[in-house]
Amino acid sequence: MKIVAVTSCPTGIAHTYMAAEALQMAAKELGHEIKVETQGSVGAENVITEEDLRQADAVIIAADTNVDKSRFTGLPVIEASVSEAIKDPKTLINKALKAKPKADLMQEVSRIKAEEKESRKGLYKHLMTGVSYMIPFVVAGGILIALGFAFGGIYVYENVGSFGEIIFSTGKLAFSLMVPVLAGYIAYSISDRPGLVPGFVGGALADKLGAGFIGALLAGLIAGYTVAFLKKYIKLPKSMQGLMPVLVLPVLSTLVMGIVMVLVLGGPVKSINDAMSAWLNNLQGSSAVFLGVVLGCMMAFDMGGPINKAAYAFGTATIAAGQPTHIMAAVMAAGMVPPLGLALATVIAKNKFTAAEIEAGKAAWVLGLSFITEGAIPFAAADPLRVIPSIMAGSAVTGALSMLFGCALAVPHGGIWVLFIPNVVTNLFFYILSIAIGAIVSALVLSILKKPVENSSSL
Amino acid sequence: MEIRDMFSKERISFDLKATNKAQVIDELIDILYKDGKITDREEFKKAVLKREEEFSTGIGMGIAIPHGKSTAVKEASIVFGKSKKGIDFNSMDGEPAHLFFLIAVPEESDDVHLKALSEISRRLMHDEVREKLYKAQSFEDFIEAF
Repeated sequence: MKIVAVTSCPTGIAHTYMAAEALQMAAKELGHEIKVETQGSVGAENVITEEDLRQADAVIIAADTNVDKSRFTGLPVIEASVSEAIKDPKTLINKALKAKPKADLMQEVSRIKAEEKESRKGLYKHLMTGVSYMIPFVVAGGILIALGFAFGGIYVYENVGSFGEIIFSTGKLAFSLMVPVLAGYIAYSISDRPGLVPGFVGGALADKLGAGFIGALLAGLIAGYTVAFLKKYIKLPKSMQGLMPVLVLPVLSTLVMGIVMVLVLGGPVKSINDAMSAWLNNLQGSSAVFLGVVLGCMMAFDMGGPINKAAYAFGTATIAAGQPTHIMAAVMAAGMVPPLGLALATVIAKNKFTAAEIEAGKAAWVLGLSFITEGAIPFAAADPLRVIPSIMAGSAVTGALSMLFGCALAVPHGGIWVLFIPNVVTNLFFYILSIAIGAIVSALVLSILKKPVENSSSL
Repeated sequence: MEIRDMFSKERISFDLKATNKAQVIDELIDILYKDGKITDREEFKKAVLKREEEFSTGIGMGIAIPHGKSTAVKEASIVFGKSKKGIDFNSMDGEPAHLFFLIAVPEESDDVHLKALSEISRRLMHDEVREKLYKAQSFEDFIEAF
C-alpha cells in the first residue's frame, strides 16, 4: 500500500519533521510505502506530485495548521495533530488504510473534465471552444422544436401564432444560431474578443450559402487567424491605438471574411456539405451499422477525450440541418454506455472491484444516464487494459443497434432526461433497448476480463 | 551545513541542575545568552513559552525540544542539556524528560540553518540515536550520536 502524508506545525522548525520521520519509520516497519510532504519554515519539501496521488491508497494529514486538502479529493483522508503522528504513527497509518474514501465520483469527474479542458491545445482547443458554446443553442433549439411538434402536431408551422407554433419558431431560431455561434467562438478562442465579429458574420454567411457546419468551422478558423494576423502587422501610432478594437480590426477582418466566404469558399464547401448530407441520408443497411460500430468505439475509447469529441462533433454536425439523425442517436447512446456498463459491472461482479469503486458505481449510473461519458474514466484509469476494451465493445454494440433500429435523435445532449419529450427521439423503445444491451455487454465482458481484487485487509 | 556545525562545546551541558520545567528553560537560555547567541533573555523566553502554550514540546521518549523564533536571536543555534534525574515537562507520554534541545531561530533565518534543524529533529526520532545520546559523556560522543 502507498500512503501520502503532509505534516505541518505552527513554527515549522521541529515537530513537522519529527512527525514526518515518525510516519516514515512506522510505515517502513509496517511494510508500506509512504511519501511525506513537510510544510515547515523552509516551505514545502518533498512535495507530493500528481504521480504520487495516482498511486496513493490513503492520505494522512498531521498538522496543526491549515493544510489545503483539495488535491486529495477522492482519496481516504485521515486528519490528526502533529503530536499524534509523533506519538503513535502506526495507529494513524492503520487508521488511514482502513478509512473509506470519500467516494465522490461526481467531484472527480468534474475535475477530470476541467483537466481535459485545460490540456486542450491549438486547433483542437479552438474547435472545442466553439463546439462547447454551440451545444446549449442546439439543445435549446432541438428540444423546443420537438415540444412545438408535441403541442401543434406535425404541421405546427402552418398555424402561425398558435402556442405550438410560437415554441416551434423560437426553437428554430435558437437552432439557426448554432452555426454563427460555432464560428464566432472558434474565432474568439483564437484571437479573443476581436475575433467575435468576423467569426459570427462568417458563420452566418456559411449558413446562408448552404456551407453548413463545415463552412462554419472554416469561417471560424479563418476569422480568428485573420484577426491575429491583422493585430500583428498593423502598427498604429500610440494615440490611435484605441481605434484598433472598435474600428480597424472589425471592419477589415469582416471585409476579408465576406470576400473569402462568398467568392472563394462558399461554392466548394457547399458541395462538400451537400455531398456529406446526401451520403448520410442514404446511409442504410450494413454500412450504417458499420458506422455505428465505429462511432461507438470512438465514443468509448477515450471517454471524453479528443477521439470521443471528434465523434460527438460529427454527430452534432449531422443535426445542424435541423433534422433528427441516426448518427446523433448512435453517438449519444454509445456515449451513455461506458458509465452504465461499469455501474452494472460493480453490481454483478462485486468481488472484482474495490469498495471505493463499488461506491463510485452508484454515481456512475447517474452520469451514464446523463450522457457524461467521463464518468467511466476513474474506473478506466485504475485498469485501462481491461476496462477500455469492455466499454468499447458495449458502445460498439449500442451504436450498431441504434443504427439498425433506425433510431434518430434531434438533440445533441441530455441523456435519458430528454428522451421522454415527444419527438426528441424516434423509436424510443428500441433506443433504450440498444443502450441497455450495450451496457449489459460491457458489464459482462468486464466481469470476465477483470481479476478479483486482492483482499487488502489481510496484510 | 553539517549537523555538527549547529552544536558547540560552549552550548552543551551534561548535568542540568534544574528540577522543573520553568527552571530548565531558564537554565538552557542562560547557556545560550552566555555564548552570545541571543541579545535579550526575556524576549527570547517569551517566544519559547508562547510556543509551549500551544502544546508541550516534550515529545515523549525522554526528549523535549523547546524552541522559539525571535528577533532577539542573533544566529540559529541549539543548546543541548541532559538531566540525570529527569524533569517533568508535561510530555505527551507523561514521562519525565532527560534530553533537552533548546532551539533558537532568528525571525529572518536562512534555509541552511532551518534545514539542518529539520534534519536534527528527524534523527531524534530514531531509537539508536536517542540511546547514544543518553550514553554520551562528551561533546565528541554527542556529535557521534548523530
